[in-house]
Amino acid sequence: MAEADVITKNRKFKELGFYDNQENNVYFLLPMRFARLNQEKEVLVNEVGDHLVVREGTFQKIVQRELNKEDDPDLFGDLVANHFISESRIPPLIDVLATRYRTKKAFLNNFTMLHIFVMSLRCEHTCHYCQVSRVTQDKDKFDMSRDHIDKGIDMMLQSPSPHVTMEFQGGEALLAFDNIKYAVERVHLLAGLRNKSVTFVICTNLALVNEEILLYCKEHEILISSSLDGPAFIHNSNRTRPGRNSYELAIKGIELSKRILGPSRVSALMTTTNLSLDYPIEIVEEYYKQGFRNMFLRPISPYGFAVRNERKNKYETDRFLEFYKKALGRILEYNLAGEFFTEDYATIILRKMLTPFPVGYVDLNSPTGCITNVIAFNYDGSIFASDESRMLAEMKDFTFQLGHLDTHSYEEVFYSKRALEIVSTGINESLPGCSDCAFQPYCGADPIQNHATQGDMYGYRPTSSFCQKNMEIIRYLIELMDKDKAIAKIFESWVKSRS
Amino acid sequence: MEKKNLIRNGEIVVYVDASLFSRDVVIKSLYWYGDKFHTQVSAEMNAYVVVLKPMANAAIKEEDLGYYLQKFERDIVDFSLREVVNKETTNIRELLVAKAFSNGEFDEAPPGNVSDAVGFDPMSIPINDAR
Ligand code: SF4
Repeated sequence: MAEADVITKNRKFKELGFYDNQENNVYFLLPMRFARLNQEKEVLVNEVGDHLVVREGTFQKIVQRELNKEDDPDLFGDLVANHFISESRIPPLIDVLATRYRTKKAFLNNFTMLHIFVMSLRCEHTCHYCQVSRVTQDKDKFDMSRDHIDKGIDMMLQSPSPHVTMEFQGGEALLAFDNIKYAVERVHLLAGLRNKSVTFVICTNLALVNEEILLYCKEHEILISSSLDGPAFIHNSNRTRPGRNSYELAIKGIELSKRILGPSRVSALMTTTNLSLDYPIEIVEEYYKQGFRNMFLRPISPYGFAVRNERKNKYETDRFLEFYKKALGRILEYNLAGEFFTEDYATIILRKMLTPFPVGYVDLNSPTGCITNVIAFNYDGSIFASDESRMLAEMKDFTFQLGHLDTHSYEEVFYSKRALEIVSTGINESLPGCSDCAFQPYCGADPIQNHATQGDMYGYRPTSSFCQKNMEIIRYLIELMDKDKAIAKIFESWVKSRS
Repeated sequence: MEKKNLIRNGEIVVYVDASLFSRDVVIKSLYWYGDKFHTQVSAEMNAYVVVLKPMANAAIKEEDLGYYLQKFERDIVDFSLREVVNKETTNIRELLVAKAFSNGEFDEAPPGNVSDAVGFDPMSIPINDAR
């Protein structure tokens, strides 16, 4: 019988008996979407992102009014309690639903929070996948000037958000450490006047880090975001530098940073390359070995060469998904053995699925997180809609340049026609393909990636690697939770720890 | 005479009954085939005639065409169900979004004795800037 397959959810409001004075098959549909999970199951998702896994064919039954409260009391009760159907034309809890809808979009309330400052384009690494860095001593040409730092800070402090993040990037940001100190001290002077709290982050490969730098970071509560691509043979092959010792320096730097700043103030990001895709298990185990209990399995950047080759992108995304599932499987094994070890991308999506909270993550926001959540000030003072769009500019594509610190005011940047155009193409509620997609509340929109890989900002979902990746990861996460209650419990613990 | 869906000369031909399915449903279903097929749709008397011709570089084998035909037939039904939901829920969806962003002018107290219905205080929600 159908009810055996329904995931019984908490009925938060009323016992089923409450609804019993109604006719058995009279009900009204509420906004919902559906997708097939596999041969046996499908998933229903409502307007505020609640989901319900049901037996295949249930959506059809609901829509065609073949559902009957007497025959299927559990399913009927779950659908009512979780706002998929209602027994009155306007559901009695519409205001609660509206509050939840507003809450889900509350990441928009404060507007731009993350401000990326590209302190220097210089780097002592020559990584083959990096399109921006330069090996040079020419500070004047490739470091951000103090004048631009001042202007960038001024613009950052005009953000409506009471809390902003200032992220120092490169090249290698530590090559311009004097300027970082200058910027941090200037922000300390000015932030209080504007009632802003500011979080500082330095993104660095750690090759140049030393005690003095870290003590400064400790004093000024600066977070370190480092890089770790996996075991030495992967990391060193991805990150080429004289001496082939990038891995050794990174590990030494991570250890020193954790010792001085404390483990919670040091994170590592993985850059996935073609080589990485063959070693999911080894990469996860390396993170575990280095004491990390979370990691971010990031896809290969689509901003490399031949980005518009659809077949190649599809093939690479297939390979990435295979990699992702294997790596996630290894992470889950640690959890099943009693460790707490999370994967960040899954956690972001799971927070959207399993909690009522707003989740602001640049790549999975709708409206898109570029501009509304992040802005990038390039080393030469030019202003971009995101970190990726300044990389496109290095390939001579200036579509996402919004202005320049020398010539444009806050209003001219954030309320420009260009900014409006970019953000309005990044609303998945109204994009072709997405508007009917069950996973839309969990997914986002990325006009910059669409432009880079498909030639227009709206994008074409059937050949989009962004879509292919998210659709399969979201489907897979729901399927995992449905098939294995132990995994569902682990996922719940991941979202709780960050709430 | 009712025309049957078929596979002919390496192409899929589907007759969609226009009295049962809308143009939007046909187009929305077709949208997802554009990565592998040249898609073409035309209107005949009481039907939309859909032709799916595999792209040269899509690596679709002759024997796979049956699968795609079946998938398309199913997609038409799926999108038609979605269309019913969309049509029937347009008003409630608009009301919901209007209430969500109205700053209170559409609000009324929820009926019943539910004070903290979803188990959290919406005003206390931390906004996460993780990236
Ligand atoms: S990008 Fe793909 S998975 Fe994401 S909402 Fe759009 S159609 Fe769905």
